[in-house]
Amino acid sequence: MSVLEVSDLSIRFGGLQALQDLTLTVNEFEIVGLIGPNGAGKTTAFNCITGFYKPDTGKVVYRGQDVTRTPPHKKAAMGFGRTFQNVGMVKSSTVLDNLKTAQHARVQYDVVTGLLGGGRVAAEERALEAKADAILELLGLTEFRHLRVGGLSYGTLKLLELGCALATEPDVLLLDEPSSGMGPEESHELGERLIELRKAFGLTMLLIEHHVPLVLSVCDHIYVLNFGRLLAEGKPSVIQTHPEVVAAYLGGEAPEELAATAETPEEAALDEATHPVAAKKAPAKKAPAKKAAAPRKKASS
Amino acid sequence: MTAVAAAPAVSPWRLSGAGLAARGLAYLGLAVVLFLPSFATDFSKTCSLAVIYALMGLSLNIVVGYTGQLSLGHQGFLGLGALVTANIVAQAQLPIWLAMACAVLATTGVALVLGLVALRITGLYLSLITLVFGSAISSSLFALARFTDNNSGVKIQRPHYLATNGDWYLVCVAVLLVVFYFDYRLTVSKVGRALLALKENERVAEAFGIGVTSYKLLAFALSGAIAGLAGGLYAFRGELYSEKDFQDPNGFTLALLFVVMCVVGGLGNRLGVVVAGLFFGLINELLDDLFYAHWVHPWMQHVPVLGSYYSSDVKASYLASLIGALLLLQTLIFNRGGLGAQLRPISRWMTGHRFELHDATHSGPAVAEGSSVRA
Repeated sequence: MSVLEVSDLSIRFGGLQALQDLTLTVNEFEIVGLIGPNGAGKTTAFNCITGFYKPDTGKVVYRGQDVTRTPPHKKAAMGFGRTFQNVGMVKSSTVLDNLKTAQHARVQYDVVTGLLGGGRVAAEERALEAKADAILELLGLTEFRHLRVGGLSYGTLKLLELGCALATEPDVLLLDEPSSGMGPEESHELGERLIELRKAFGLTMLLIEHHVPLVLSVCDHIYVLNFGRLLAEGKPSVIQTHPEVVAAYLGGEAPEELAATAETPEEAALDEATHPVAAKKAPAKKAPAKKAAAPRKKASS
Repeated sequence: MTAVAAAPAVSPWRLSGAGLAARGLAYLGLAVVLFLPSFATDFSKTCSLAVIYALMGLSLNIVVGYTGQLSLGHQGFLGLGALVTANIVAQAQLPIWLAMACAVLATTGVALVLGLVALRITGLYLSLITLVFGSAISSSLFALARFTDNNSGVKIQRPHYLATNGDWYLVCVAVLLVVFYFDYRLTVSKVGRALLALKENERVAEAFGIGVTSYKLLAFALSGAIAGLAGGLYAFRGELYSEKDFQDPNGFTLALLFVVMCVVGGLGNRLGVVVAGLFFGLINELLDDLFYAHWVHPWMQHVPVLGSYYSSDVKASYLASLIGALLLLQTLIFNRGGLGAQLRPISRWMTGHRFELHDATHSGPAVAEGSSVRA
């Protein structure tokens, strides 16, 4: 059964067609990868699916229910968990408080009861804390429990953000570059962890990822985006050898006229501000990719 | 990263006998200090004002400290609360508690409207709008002769069982304690966590399932409700509603004072804001009565140049605002956490923790790196 069905999704920012007729399906318990060069529209697709952007046309259907126009916080309550490309957490709070904040939609008491206090609220707050501790233990982050998030290293933050997404009790988890800031070994571990989490929590996942070995090893199905359009889709083995994908992404010459398209301004800003590591790392992976990346960098600046 | 296993809070019922007794004594002392002014006649009136300022500090703190938006129009809520209370009591002869409830409803409603604006506009422009709101309401609604008894001020009387200033002071303290409790509940329940998440990053908050609209409105409504309550207390404090207290330039001075109180107390720090509010509420009168009248003024007459500047009708409020400005600078440069951060070891001890000048939980690298002051 398909958990998430996206059909003909399009969105335009000014003169830029950020997404054009994107159609994808995520089935129950699948890990689906969304890959593509910088500025291909991956994060935009995430934002449309999770409700942060309202698509111009197209539909997002979650378990048979049209949720295209549902605001993000309601989607979170429905079971959409997501992480951000730049780490999405409350930086001035402690790790524990972040995990409790993330459980917001699962809290049973209402605002007034919370303000009055009492035994029921206290019991529930303890339950939230217990759940937070369980997640910390699962991810091996218990030692950071009382630290402020703002002082942690980037790799820890990415893992912790995954923990926060888990704390929202998601049904479908959308991960935006979970392995950024991690070395090859750590990202391999992350891949194994994702598969374990899927099993433990019965999750369905959609992930944006730049680290190709990770995508190829964990994903059941891969969609490749390029300049806002779906370039290819299929099993990892198919994608790996797909000629157009190899040309556009895995390392080959990109056609000249297409390379001039800029990223969406928001994505460019996000990339620059939070992602210097990934931005530098991506072109270095394979030598020919450098050529393709150079004109794009120019256009986005 | 290793000194993380910070000792969890010792719950009060696990304290040793001596520790419990010491804290009990501290609370008793605090209660006595709070209670004492009620025996004085004039001083208790001053103290009521201080408590009302502390309430305004808590009110503004919800907007400035918890949601990170600067409001420069909070005197408008205070004035509106006083106006509604006084007029309902004077014109409709309703009981005082009902009048204050109406005042709370009115200010909550107006605050919700301001909250609707805050959904769309943030930062500097929102501050500007609140500033305009404050002076607009003071030059329109507050100036209506209908509500000010033809500009002579609306005289009202406290009920006979609360006739003295001391009685009213105790009412103010009781209200402050109740509001303080609710504010504490706010920060330890999901509401406080939601507001903090919203303040830092609305997108993250939404991804956690927090409705931006409803929580922003809630924050403004709560802030307005507390200010309305403070306004009601204000009206009965002097048994007179005078619109001039809230009209510019007095009104704007008040609005600024409230913001200074919040910053000096420590943004988002309940205890600090209350202490700062009490301080600023007391300082004017204290300077006037004690320091200025008895010491500075007779002495200043002998100082060339300055002596002629200090005429007898110059009030110490000038000195008070100077002190406020200096405290503000001191806070911003040396001590971003405000008074609350300084009081933290004491407040932690009072709530059953060990007395530590630096507690591991809250002095992470983030403190040094990012300021908590945000407008």
